[in-house]
Amino acid sequence: MTPPRSFAAFSIVFAVVYAIAYVIAVEQNYALFTYHPAISEFGAGVQQPKEGPAMYWYGWLATAGIAAFLAGVLAALLPESVTRRLWPGWTWVVALAVMVAFCYILRIYFLR
Amino acid sequence: MNTTTLLLIVHGLLAVALLGAITHQAVSVWVPARKPAGSFVGRFRAVPGTSYVNAIIVLYLLTFMLGGIIYPEYRVEARVVVEQMGLWKQTGAFELKEHFAAVGLGILPAYWHYWRQPLAGEHDRTRALLTATIAFIVWWNFLVGHILNNIRGFGS
Repeated sequence: MTPPRSFAAFSIVFAVVYAIAYVIAVEQNYALFTYHPAISEFGAGVQQPKEGPAMYWYGWLATAGIAAFLAGVLAALLPESVTRRLWPGWTWVVALAVMVAFCYILRIYFLR
Repeated sequence: MNTTTLLLIVHGLLAVALLGAITHQAVSVWVPARKPAGSFVGRFRAVPGTSYVNAIIVLYLLTFMLGGIIYPEYRVEARVVVEQMGLWKQTGAFELKEHFAAVGLGILPAYWHYWRQPLAGEHDRTRALLTATIAFIVWWNFLVGHILNNIRGFGS
């Protein structure tokens, strides 16, 4: 399968925006939806726990996925003269930076 | 055996396959065999990394999806117990697992793109570092998953 040339731009921007949007979604709790596992119920947006814990992880994934997909599509529409300047290394640099950021955000678990 | 246990076992088996594939590929990229391999380690390093790409992506997605399906059971049943036991480092390690897995998901399109045939020489470093990032995530998640799964001992 041969993807279009613009897929390179899509994949770079998708990786970068996804990682950044995900960490922001987690930190600010921008979950697209909430899952209540104890009662197997989904709810739109961020909801308070009902009869057990509320799970936002799926909602964070959806928020980041949509933001990254839209940004990636926009990047793919840009002229090649612009997208050629995108450094592919941002894909792993931003992913690793976000992973380090999560270690910092969750440090309380390891310092108790 | 209930459905969650069955799915957890399948999740674990898929993770083993993914671990093997990504480790093979990462080793073949970072310490490639320079001459025909005779030893086990030499043959391990000599595999063609490109042949693993699609399998790694499919295995990552399947393992991720199964993990996502059984995650609510962990959240309701297991995590409460782990917290009551005061095992905060283990709880934190699992929190990192869920976030690392999510971050890995985001780099899969780029990983696929930069491993596409014919391999572009100018993207060797990107390819190697994307592979290393995914390998780290897979190893972390595999080990943490096992630690959490076995935390109360077999059969308890």
